Amino acid sequence: MTASAATAVASRPQADRPPLVRLRGLTKSYGSMVAVKPLDLDIQSGDFYALLGPSGCGKTTLLRMIGGFTEPTAGTVEIDGVDVTRMGPERRPTNMVFQGYGLFPHMTVRQNIAYGLKLAKLPAAEVETRVKEIIGLVRLEQLAERRPDGLSGGQAQRVALARALVMRPRVLLLDEPLAALDLQLRKAMQEELRRIHRSIGGTFVFVTHDQGEAMALANRIAVMDAGACVQEGGPEEIYGAPRTRFISTFIGEANVLPGRRQGGRVTLEAGGSFADAGADEAVVVVVRPEAMALGGNLPQGAVKLTGRLADSVFLGPYVRYRVELPGGGEIILHSQDFALRHRLAVDDTVEVGWTTDVQRVLADR
Amino acid sequence: MPRNPVVLTLFALPATLIFLLFFLGPFIYFVVMSFWSVSLFRLSRDFTLVNYLDVYREYGYSVAFTFAIALLIAVIATLLAFGFAYLIRFRAGRLGPTLLFVTLITMFGGYLVKIYAWRTILGTTGILNTGLIELGIIDEPVSWLLYNPGAVVATLTHFLLPFAVLPLYGSLRGISDAQLAAARDLGARPLRMLIDIVLPQCQPGILVAFMLTFFIAAGDYVTPRLVGGTATAMAGNFVENQFITALNAPQSSALAVAILAVSAGTVLLLRAVMRRTLAVR
Ligand SMILES: Nc1ncnc2c1ncn2[C@@H]1O[C@H](COP(=O)(O)OP(=O)(O)O)[C@@H](O)[C@H]1O
Ligand SMILES: [Mg+2]
Repeated sequence: MTASAATAVASRPQADRPPLVRLRGLTKSYGSMVAVKPLDLDIQSGDFYALLGPSGCGKTTLLRMIGGFTEPTAGTVEIDGVDVTRMGPERRPTNMVFQGYGLFPHMTVRQNIAYGLKLAKLPAAEVETRVKEIIGLVRLEQLAERRPDGLSGGQAQRVALARALVMRPRVLLLDEPLAALDLQLRKAMQEELRRIHRSIGGTFVFVTHDQGEAMALANRIAVMDAGACVQEGGPEEIYGAPRTRFISTFIGEANVLPGRRQGGRVTLEAGGSFADAGADEAVVVVVRPEAMALGGNLPQGAVKLTGRLADSVFLGPYVRYRVELPGGGEIILHSQDFALRHRLAVDDTVEVGWTTDVQRVLADR
Repeated sequence: MPRNPVVLTLFALPATLIFLLFFLGPFIYFVVMSFWSVSLFRLSRDFTLVNYLDVYREYGYSVAFTFAIALLIAVIATLLAFGFAYLIRFRAGRLGPTLLFVTLITMFGGYLVKIYAWRTILGTTGILNTGLIELGIIDEPVSWLLYNPGAVVATLTHFLLPFAVLPLYGSLRGISDAQLAAARDLGARPLRMLIDIVLPQCQPGILVAFMLTFFIAAGDYVTPRLVGGTATAMAGNFVENQFITALNAPQSSALAVAILAVSAGTVLLLRAVMRRTLAVR
């Protein structure tokens, strides 16, 4: 995850530009069930934007409200400065790639892709050039005359993508675009999506429950939980500075250590303490496995804990250690000090620690 | 499913035998017999076209009338059934399965029950007449409600509706919500969506629904006798007559074959027209 976070497009358009998509107080209830709580969100032109959250948290509902398929209970959707809240999908400058794709089985790949342009009554010659161009972009030349039932999952996915992209939407919406594909194909399609986004320079908003996918694709992520957006930011920000305990464990792996802050000092249940300004309350300290150090590698002034080395696994780029703490907790630790592994044996008593600049102290709610 | 060809053959054998023995055999026999003739109540196995000439000369009107009324019934039943199936599939939500179940139940309601129900509704002492008198719209019961082609159309359409709903619902079920949402997203208004996305994928269902209703209506002879009155003699009545009363099997065979040929031609024509008009452009 660390590696993919670094490859994501980091550039963020100027914040003083008006956002392309502006959501204000957007809400959806089904009876007494609130699927999306009042939500404000800005999406800039050129963003590859992820709506990330566990299943059932309201991602699809939010995406469908942007696309015009679900009418919000309250709030507004503005695209390109125009209030589209009361417009149907056919009138919005958006197009959607649906979960399950929804390809038309009685049409060939080419006919599927051309359908929207024909509805728009574009001249036949223009339809042909635009379809040809997009078929080239998603690399479907060999399959253009096939019908959807003769396509593999990855190919069907590219047809769905092409059918939406050929309309040149201001915003392309994708609902779990890669969820139906197997792992290997998913990795390949992620790269494909990045390439397509780069080459057409459009704005993509996609829904996923897979944090790795969000990290790999998006330059901007909104993390959702139970119908609310709990944090919004770039992938590095969300990974490095998660705002809640939920986010820290949902995105990447994290050690979450409970403790208490009293008089400007935090004391962990597992032992160890450090100075930290703030109210007296129960807190959790969040530290990423790769930010922890072990044994002789502990830096100066580190917060230190002692435990029993329960497991060590060589994973190629790093070694993964599991250390059991006396109170019953445990710490996961990734280290690239491969020599250290030979000096340690399982059941050894070891010291683990970290410096306070890599930790996040969060109120434990 | 077993793959072994011997086992597969054994599986298919009973149905095939029944089909050959009780359908194809008699059918071929009737076709052959339609070229025979009867003299002095005895079959003579010659080859003659006289039966078909008689179909044209004596029953031409009746065949045309039967064709028209069956077509009307099939068209009305298929259209109504399409609307109903569409409702069940796309609009009724959780109520859909219940509606489908009710549809199935009415199929078991029986044929004669429906005929007598319509007699009760349309008769001179029927619900409609009584109601109209109560409301003061008419003074005397009117007799023209029953015993006319309209009563046949109403009764048979009612009876055949579920037969048409099921195949249509079956083919509508194959159309995913995502397809319709995608069409809408690409700019299709409801009518375009129906023509471009729904109907092309429903062709088999439409054809089966039409075929079932058309064939059953064209071959029926009970309904016209019970609610059709003297002016509504459908070809089926003459087939029955020739067979049972006049004992002229060749003549009635020719009549049956003629109706079948016209019906099959109609269905083939419908298929061709649908293919053409619903082809993706
Ligand atoms: N049409 C609907 N009627 C009632 N509840 C719905 C409807 N659509 C979604 N929901 C509910 O809203 C919540 C959010 O759904 P959804 O947006 O699909 O979640 P996600 O895409 O994040 O998995 C779920 O609890 C779901 O059951
Ligand atoms: Mg979803």
